[in-house]
Amino acid sequence: MNTRLRKKIVDMVVEGKDGHIPSAFSIVDIISILYKDFLNFDSKKPLWEDRDYFILSKGHGCLALYVVLKDHGFLTENDLKFFCKPEGILGEHPDCTKVPGAEASTGSLGHGLPFAVGIALGLKIQGKKNKIYVLVGDGECHEGTIWEAANVANNLQLGNLCVIVDWNGSAAQLMPRDDLPAKWKAFGWNASVTDGHTEKDLKSALNEITFKAEGSPSVILAKTVKGKGVPLIEGHGPWHHRIPNKEEYNIIMEALS
Amino acid sequence: MSNKSMRQQFADTMLDIGQKDDQLVVLVGDISHFILQPFAKACPGRYYNIGICEPTIISMAAGLSKVKMHPVIHTIAPFLLERGFEQIKLDFCYQQLGGNIITVGSAFDYSNLGCTHHCYGDFALLKTLPRTQILYPSSTSEFDILFRQAYQNDFLTVYRLPSESHDFHFKPADIKLGKGIKIKEGNNLTIIVTGPHLKIAVAAEDSLKNSGWDTEIIYIHTIKPLDEEMVFNSIKKTKKVLVIEEHMQSGGLGDSVLRAIKDINDFQFESLAIPDMFVTGYGTYQDHCNTLGFTKDGIVSKITTSFNKES
Repeated sequence: MNTRLRKKIVDMVVEGKDGHIPSAFSIVDIISILYKDFLNFDSKKPLWEDRDYFILSKGHGCLALYVVLKDHGFLTENDLKFFCKPEGILGEHPDCTKVPGAEASTGSLGHGLPFAVGIALGLKIQGKKNKIYVLVGDGECHEGTIWEAANVANNLQLGNLCVIVDWNGSAAQLMPRDDLPAKWKAFGWNASVTDGHTEKDLKSALNEITFKAEGSPSVILAKTVKGKGVPLIEGHGPWHHRIPNKEEYNIIMEALS
Repeated sequence: MSNKSMRQQFADTMLDIGQKDDQLVVLVGDISHFILQPFAKACPGRYYNIGICEPTIISMAAGLSKVKMHPVIHTIAPFLLERGFEQIKLDFCYQQLGGNIITVGSAFDYSNLGCTHHCYGDFALLKTLPRTQILYPSSTSEFDILFRQAYQNDFLTVYRLPSESHDFHFKPADIKLGKGIKIKEGNNLTIIVTGPHLKIAVAAEDSLKNSGWDTEIIYIHTIKPLDEEMVFNSIKKTKKVLVIEEHMQSGGLGDSVLRAIKDINDFQFESLAIPDMFVTGYGTYQDHCNTLGFTKDGIVSKITTSFNKES
């Protein structure tokens, strides 16, 4: 569990007076590991043709993406400082026309996966070997377009595509009768389940993905905790879109120490 | 004039361009599958019948555009433009990606299929989105020429293909994206018409001439960006304008014309369009046109009851 990036996220939210902390804490370990060990990129040339693609479909978790992009040289400390400020480029959902390294402007759920299916198809047509990762929320999997896209991706045999589901139980708050692994398997995907906060488990699951030009796409269902790392904000309560006051800030930082 | 259907022209244009440009990819929603087989055979790996999932087809096409392909999406108008509106707005327009949507089922072309298959608010919807171009080519050559002009640019371009064409032949050099075509010069009345109703507008002009009207006719194939200069100059001269469009009276070409001429004093405006209602009746396309007044007599009646030559 990456406490350094979590602290940075909290500071950005306090400074910007806005943001979704628990959603970012749910996925920051996944994104951090992807950029550290699995994605090919050149932060000096964000549009480098041979890069791998990471699409954050659940755009409201973008604080996790921003701090990782900063770690890898796409963004500067100054960019983070101006989160949600008029002079800044970072808002509560990523805008790919402003943010170097953000591949899609997401926020309305259910768009990122079908968009990524198009990217995967285009690269397959071109005979390129770029990998495409998409991170979707389990609540986002209520959207019909997720399953339209899942069906299309399997039928087009987009083996260059890997979905990671941030399986933090948001969906089950509303629709508890939901066997997500069985659903993805029923759509013909190679499905695995892993812990979404433990580096060793995540790496192991990601290493199992064999990106191929022709083959079934893969999905990793990452068991996560919304707000992971800080008991005060963990779970599905009022912290979804709440800014900590001074006292709460101290409690959060203490928990992350 | 060619007897070729607009849809066949679409297939032929795809085939021709697809053989020269390996970035052209065609995605269809289970329609026109058979007429696109020559394209599919000539351009292997660049034709996909995705099935019945229009929002996903649009998002996928935006993804194709992201990796520098030129996507063409094709199916029935309401399913793409109304159901898939948010995908057009966010995945194409907001992300500044170019692409092409070719619709069939213009307005009430699917006359007997009922309102589920009608689409007469498309201009209004699409006009609200930055980075859209709206084309209504109503002859085969117009489609072919306009598609070649627009398909690679950075806009989301929607081509509304009607089932009927207007049977006029223009010089290729006169067909330019964003430019109107002046069919006839006149001095005391302007008719601005889009779509296949150019035919009845020209027929009506003959009758109007006998009543003393000297009608200027402007044909519009590009709804957005509108040729505001041609529209403005004509109405500044004639001071009277009738706009004919197979679209809801609200939000369509007529509204764009009004915005273009707001600085002209003392003009009179009328619109022959679909009123604020669903077209719930059945019958042929022509039956609907008769009911709604999209006829030569309907135009003449509209003008003679709305305008006074002497005022």
